[in-house]
Amino acid sequence: MLKTLKKGKFVLLTTLAASLVFAGCSGGEQPAADAGGGDDSSKKLVIGFSNVTSESPFYTALTDAAKAEAEKQGADIIVMDAQNNIEKQNADVQDMITKGIDVLILNPTNPTAVTPALEAAKQANIPVITVDRPTEAKVTSFVGRDNKAMGEIAGKQAVSLLGGEGKAKGKIIEIQGDAGGKVMMDRHDGFHAVVDKEPGITVVEGPYSDYVRAKAVKAFQDLLQAHPDVNLVYAHNDDMALGALQVLEQNNMVDKVKIVGIDGLSEAVKAIIDGKYSATVFNDPVKMGSLAVDTALKAAKGEQVSEYVDAGTGLIDSTNAKDVYSETAVFAEMK
Amino acid sequence: MEYVKTEATQAKPSFQLGAFLRKYNLLLLVLVFIVIGSLLSPKFLSVQNFLNLLQQSAVTGIVAIGITFVIIVAGIDLSVGSVLAFAGMVMALLLPHTGPFVAFLAAIASGAVLGWINGFVSTRLTIPPFITTLAMMVAARGLALLLTDGKPVFNLPESVRFFGKNLFGIPVSGLIWIALTLIAIFVLRYTTFGRKLYAIGGNPQSAHLTGIEVNRYITFTYVISGALSALAGIVLASWLTVGQPTAGSGIELDAIAAVVLGGTSLMGGVGGVGGTFVGVLLMSMITNIFNLLGLSSYFQSIFMGIIIVLALVLNKFVIQKKQ
Repeated sequence: MLKTLKKGKFVLLTTLAASLVFAGCSGGEQPAADAGGGDDSSKKLVIGFSNVTSESPFYTALTDAAKAEAEKQGADIIVMDAQNNIEKQNADVQDMITKGIDVLILNPTNPTAVTPALEAAKQANIPVITVDRPTEAKVTSFVGRDNKAMGEIAGKQAVSLLGGEGKAKGKIIEIQGDAGGKVMMDRHDGFHAVVDKEPGITVVEGPYSDYVRAKAVKAFQDLLQAHPDVNLVYAHNDDMALGALQVLEQNNMVDKVKIVGIDGLSEAVKAIIDGKYSATVFNDPVKMGSLAVDTALKAAKGEQVSEYVDAGTGLIDSTNAKDVYSETAVFAEMK
Repeated sequence: MEYVKTEATQAKPSFQLGAFLRKYNLLLLVLVFIVIGSLLSPKFLSVQNFLNLLQQSAVTGIVAIGITFVIIVAGIDLSVGSVLAFAGMVMALLLPHTGPFVAFLAAIASGAVLGWINGFVSTRLTIPPFITTLAMMVAARGLALLLTDGKPVFNLPESVRFFGKNLFGIPVSGLIWIALTLIAIFVLRYTTFGRKLYAIGGNPQSAHLTGIEVNRYITFTYVISGALSALAGIVLASWLTVGQPTAGSGIELDAIAAVVLGGTSLMGGVGGVGGTFVGVLLMSMITNIFNLLGLSSYFQSIFMGIIIVLALVLNKFVIQKKQ
């Protein structure tokens, strides 16, 4: 009886010791592998992505693209939706850090109020890549787009539609995004930097329609009453420009008024192909999402990344609309 | 005898003026704005502008009719915007497979079911309607987003664009709004169903004692609200030629403001759809005037807030004067 007990004890002890040694071994192995560069080894890199909202097709496309790129490069990705709530975003980031991520991709709800999340990442020694919107504080890298350049492209197209540089003539109605928004200001300033040089052009600045079609339709109905002699509509995004198109169709004025938008919404690209819409400007979320993941993985491996990665833009008009149109994607993708 | 008579003749004119003001102060306000609008902008008094106003008000207006029913029985419905979006998505997704008729019916039925859940949870489980419909507002929005993973449905077929078009030069959506308003006025004023709703809103206990099935009637107002929100969703989707899961967010506030502006009391038992109609029109008119003048939306928001409070103060003042 006593003997068997002793025997049992012995077995237990050896198992314990063995497992301790084993644990010690594997514990010592992992850092060594990490020091060796972290690629092709057993451990997958984990990306944490805190996106601003999932209630907009642009941001869901951004999330999908990030997931696809992570899978392609063999990394894991955790995505959290801040639901436009800065407190939730700060908490989400802290939770992801606790869970264990190697790099953070952040689309900040607010450029300054996201500081607690940035602090937490700094303490945990995790590189931060901001995407789509920058933060006030400096981070490892910002992957975004120059909205001013997009406004300029739209402006140049407007000038050429109204007669070309130096000769352009006509009245433009501008349907604006959200009051005080950075993107809205850039798309406004970029456009005006080009258009205001033309003495023959007058621009009527319409009310803010928050990038929402339903609001733009109402505003444009009123504007069309006040300015029936309008020659061109410029909207800060395609959703609002499509609202203006709807009003023009109802008033049988589609052939009299040109429309220029921004974003490259597939619906707008289709309207360009159908000849009802003049032009839009690329704002491809897929390219931006995959670039963000690519940059994040480089940063996680300790490679040098540049402070600003431009996701690029370009014009879509009747010459290239057919090539970039896709019935399944919400936004036109850059080749 | 004689003494009583003189008192009656003295009291009568002031009473009538009070009643007149109380009943029509909103219409007077509308007249004031029509005058201001036509003085400030030559385009304001055009026929086209009024047709535009009708179309711009229709979606909020249809939603507000349903909310008026709910508020008359002292309830509230915050879920209208989300139900609107969900029904719009249901229609947009079904259209290519079933054709417009089935898609419309399914969308309206889905709105009615969500409304019924609102009513059932509020009355049978005695959860305050503010909370019930707040929960539905969040849940139905989630459902709408889930249907397509947040993506809008565009390229709606030509068959549904009917609601965004004109009939005899008048926007179809506006005609629907006017027709529904007339039906609702009739139902509330001239049917036993309508009178029972006022009785329930005025005093649910005594209504119950007189044998009215209070819970059933209250639940039915939420079904009406859900179905009308769904109809508004169909109208909006076909007008904008797109089904958007984010459609109608914030519309509950505009609609409730219009209902209250129209003289329906949040305490229940008082008010009607006619006032709501004018309330919605007044709010659209203010935005319209600001847009025609090219004034900033900041001023619009400030002014809208002031007008809502002013109209209510005016209402209260006139009622107190009368008493």
